[in-house]
Amino acid sequence: MIQRILLAAFLVFGLFGSAAADETCQSPFLPKVTGQEDYIYVWTLGVKGLGDGNDSMVTVDANPKSPFYGKMINRAPVPGRHEAHHAGFTDDRRYLWAGGLDTSQIFVFDVGSDPAKPKLVKTISTFVKDTGGMVGPHTFYALPGRMLISALSNAQDGSGRTGLAEYSNDGKFIRAIWMPKEAPYGYDVRVNVNLNRMLTSSFSGKKNYMRPFGELVKDGEAMKNFGGSVVVWDFHARKPLQVLSVPGAPLELRWALLPNHNYAFTATALTGQLVLIYQQEDGTWATKNIAEIGANLPVDISIAPDDSKIYVNSFGDGTLRVYDVTNPFEGKLIEQVKLGEMANMVSSSWDGKRLYATNSLLSQWDKPGDYWLKAYAWEDGKLVAKFTTDFNPVGRAHIMNLNSKAFGPRAARSAPSDRRTSTNVASR
Amino acid sequence: MWRRADLAVALLVGLAVAPGIAGGHEAPSLEDEFVKGVFSPNFVPPAAGSYELPAVKRVAGFLLRDSTGRSVSTERITAGKVAVVSFIYTACSERLGCPLASRALQDLQGRLKEEGLSHDVALLSISFDPGRDRPAQLAKYARVYGADPALWRFMTAPSTRVLGDMLESYGQDRAPVYDGRGRFTGRYSHVLKVFLVDRAGDIRNIYSAGFLVPELVVNDIKTVLSDYARR
Repeated sequence: MIQRILLAAFLVFGLFGSAAADETCQSPFLPKVTGQEDYIYVWTLGVKGLGDGNDSMVTVDANPKSPFYGKMINRAPVPGRHEAHHAGFTDDRRYLWAGGLDTSQIFVFDVGSDPAKPKLVKTISTFVKDTGGMVGPHTFYALPGRMLISALSNAQDGSGRTGLAEYSNDGKFIRAIWMPKEAPYGYDVRVNVNLNRMLTSSFSGKKNYMRPFGELVKDGEAMKNFGGSVVVWDFHARKPLQVLSVPGAPLELRWALLPNHNYAFTATALTGQLVLIYQQEDGTWATKNIAEIGANLPVDISIAPDDSKIYVNSFGDGTLRVYDVTNPFEGKLIEQVKLGEMANMVSSSWDGKRLYATNSLLSQWDKPGDYWLKAYAWEDGKLVAKFTTDFNPVGRAHIMNLNSKAFGPRAARSAPSDRRTSTNVASR
Repeated sequence: MWRRADLAVALLVGLAVAPGIAGGHEAPSLEDEFVKGVFSPNFVPPAAGSYELPAVKRVAGFLLRDSTGRSVSTERITAGKVAVVSFIYTACSERLGCPLASRALQDLQGRLKEEGLSHDVALLSISFDPGRDRPAQLAKYARVYGADPALWRFMTAPSTRVLGDMLESYGQDRAPVYDGRGRFTGRYSHVLKVFLVDRAGDIRNIYSAGFLVPELVVNDIKTVLSDYARR
């Protein structure tokens, strides 16, 4: 994978610090921010009675040299509340697509014209119709000229039977691919280009994810309706090759980044396992539980750029756990940070030095309490708190996408040109 | 399988002779490893015709100038053919950018001839830099890459407006790069994309660096051609 190689090149050249940072889980087809990130876009759930009550794309200033470091510097609302959840850049980083799990609306923000101020330029309201009944657009994953979107549910029965959809960067629907019958659930989707393999994971349908959590967990029948598989696909052919049994709702998928690291990680929300998904010598895939995270509802995970660590945020106890996965077959807990009453997303910078976390999971599952974005940095082998951005005035902070001024117009005026290095190749 | 070592070596050789391309100016041995590493697909592409390539979007035709200076419409060149379209500029110094795309098209040209597909396909390299990439410069660049004019054409837009319209139509980004003082460096930032366009003008696939594998592109071309055969 190109990003692996570029990363290796950075390691070899010793350029970290001067030339390397973005989420380590972004699509390999996406140019990476390879310096200090300037902005964090936070797709934020609106709350009834709070300001305009709308979902919004909030920009937080992430540059320590800025006078606004750690502050919200812009808020771009969309009309209404949609269960704001995940968002992702197009392959050229000019646009950020953000989805609503309740209404299945997709909001496209222009982030290239002024990276500090995302501007809503298009709304796709036809996702359910386009896809023949998929509901809940979740992961937005850049492919060349296209967006690959994994859904969570369907309009027919609100169960977890669902699939993948592709749109052109212009917002034109291209195709829908339903999950295989033996593994109908969907959640995340991630591609390894060097292996031509794609992984999908599995969660639950709208009947469950839009239901109050306290009520849901008491409904034994409903609790059976969670996915328990990871599907390995031929990416180019978009054909499922193998269904792996991973009980307990495996959520986020993270490919290892270095050359010949032919494996990925996931965490199971309901069974609390950190799971390795690895390619065997015969080319087929297998899984191994490598650490017991615990019954604390692990949700998002992030990988260190050198594949040495997996970060796990648990919703149940609001704790960030760091696992050493230098030996990917054995995860060792090396650090724990209590972030708050609950925690959800966790994102590592591309250089592995900074970590950001937010704490809203789903509007019907969140606990009462404060909503925030917290920034940490590795200093002398410990995670040190850098800032907390209070989201209570605007809503509930969900996914984070990092960006740089270097992706704006006439970028090199304000940033060294090497900051716009693309793992995908942004030629200069 | 993709002959990655051959291609990496050829790419490095190409860099040394390509006009306006500054190769080997920094830590060449590590860069060599990097270039080889990028060409590390470790898979056998799925067989032609065993998968679908739905239309991504339809692109327009444009009146451009070819490397002999003639005004030619892209539609005329691609009429009845599957087109592989790449945007490059000859001064591009990013070895994982334009030189990589041109090397891949060179490899593809050879494969298409071997497979007897050269009459069914048109390769097009279109400049990002109409100001400097005049027809004579493109002709020089084409020679470096051994382009067969019957199969592979290098073209430039008559104006930046036409280029802008074309980039918009394809969904290809391009941003001039400025130095710290706000002076244009002569370079353009862009995501490497190569477009597979069918007879109707529909983009059927888009390749960027990690997926610009000639064997895979050939299979895609055959897949698109087999659609016509079935009709």
